[in-house]
Amino acid sequence: MKNPSHNRDRKGALPAALPALIPFLVITGALELAVRGGLVRAYLVPAPSSVFRAMVESRDELIQAMLTTSASALLGFLLSTVAGIGIAVFLSSSRAIQRAFYPYAVFFQTVPLIAIAPLLVIWFGYGTRTVVASAFVVSIFPVIANTLTGILSTDPALRDLFRLYGASTLVTLFKLRFPAALPQILTGLRVASGLAVIGAIVGEFIGGQGLGSVVDIARTQQRVDKVFAAVLLASVLGLALFGLINLISYVTLRRWHASEQT
Amino acid sequence: MNRRNFVLGAALLTACGKSSQKIRLALNWKPEPEFGPFYAAPYRKYGLDVDILPGGAGTPTVQMVGAGSAEFGIVAADELLVARSRGNDVVALFAVFQNNPQGIMVHASRKLTSIADIFRHPGTVAMQRGLSYARLLEKMYGFDKVKIVPSPNGDVSAFLHDKNFAQQCFIASEPLIAKRLGADVQVFPISDIGFNPYTDVMATSGDVLRSKPEMAKPMVAAAREGLRIYLDDPKPTNLRMQQLNPTMPLDLFTETAEAQRPLIETEETRRNGLGSMTKERWETLIKQLKDLGDIQNAPAGEDCFRSF
Repeated sequence: MKNPSHNRDRKGALPAALPALIPFLVITGALELAVRGGLVRAYLVPAPSSVFRAMVESRDELIQAMLTTSASALLGFLLSTVAGIGIAVFLSSSRAIQRAFYPYAVFFQTVPLIAIAPLLVIWFGYGTRTVVASAFVVSIFPVIANTLTGILSTDPALRDLFRLYGASTLVTLFKLRFPAALPQILTGLRVASGLAVIGAIVGEFIGGQGLGSVVDIARTQQRVDKVFAAVLLASVLGLALFGLINLISYVTLRRWHASEQT
Repeated sequence: MNRRNFVLGAALLTACGKSSQKIRLALNWKPEPEFGPFYAAPYRKYGLDVDILPGGAGTPTVQMVGAGSAEFGIVAADELLVARSRGNDVVALFAVFQNNPQGIMVHASRKLTSIADIFRHPGTVAMQRGLSYARLLEKMYGFDKVKIVPSPNGDVSAFLHDKNFAQQCFIASEPLIAKRLGADVQVFPISDIGFNPYTDVMATSGDVLRSKPEMAKPMVAAAREGLRIYLDDPKPTNLRMQQLNPTMPLDLFTETAEAQRPLIETEETRRNGLGSMTKERWETLIKQLKDLGDIQNAPAGEDCFRSF
């Protein structure tokens, strides 16, 4: 099933980025003027220029911290992708299993991470493992929920067709249900990617390391400029992960799904 | 919301705005014995209507006071100096703790003999790295032998779990909790290394001092009387605070109030009055923070506090 209209208009990255760039420039410009004009106190909200200066001054520390956070967030995200899809496939196998286990999956959605934080440290020790666990716990639920919805909403007509040809459950799963669920799975992954970054940073508040630790220390030292610099880098990390999922989405869906055919 | 409700809501909001003559005192932790004086203070006697705002880990009281979202706030002297050096005009008025209540607690079974000893032996030390004393410790002893991890903010479970775990603490708080849970605790006060900032300092902003000069003096008088009341008989205040913070048992309130007494009432306060501060102590701290590089443009000692 080849669709000739799959080629996106990729001409000119700059015009495409322009709409996002304008609010950025307006907001940073206004903030800079507000701080310089004394409308906003610099120890509450830093001027964008001082955030930039903090970034340059502490670049080695920030780059190192960002790499550490990226590794943990990515690992947590990969784990929740694999485990989340696996759990969803398991849940989709029967109504009874779904009734028995789905409520427990919701646990991940509602767990107050901060409350169990001291326990995470005892279970996994200080450092990377706690951070990865934290990223995993907060990012798995959207993967489970979206994958499950995707798998369960396979077109009944196609399912009948597979049955008619005597396809096994496994074949139906991998050749039909799974590919059909891909758009929903990718939506789940988009949500999960942002949550994994948040989870990693919360984990770093407790377990040490990375951007979370930089934020914690800078906050204690009343360095709002550095806090914002670290937070900005965390957003960049979230954006990068989001972009990665979009790329995967484009590559896998462009040939057949309307969402990637504009 | 229909139009009538909206008008009603707006009227209510305006009314609240008008009656906001209440003075806000922002705490940087939950209602616990360290704030006993502020809960015991007879504000009405001094013509004050005070609303105490409890806080938690990381409540930015020093920024709140600077920004005017609270007229008064509880800060530490080192925190105040850093704030001043960053252009936040915050002024100290009354210091509950004359001696630094911060310490590091360890398991007594390790038989360590000093703070220096903690850093000479392999183990984990939980403390907020951003704090001035953490950097002073690093400068004095180095952190090569130990693993520094974030402070668990009063939680002692990791400490109980690991014999080689040390953690920053309020001398009169976490050690008592850990003891109750069966640990054999030993505490080394941070003042042992000569770092002794006033703590639980009631501060206000330069703005408040200028625009409402009549407010600070009775506030200090009320706090001083509150401290006297709390030292003489902490029980009624503990009962009130325990209602606000029911997770802390009443007998722990009693025990903590007793344990913190020597940090509050000293030779100096017997001479100069409870809560009083001296220029010399502020200047010592300014020098220490300057040496650490925590403050660049050092404020003058006499600008940091006001005596009433």
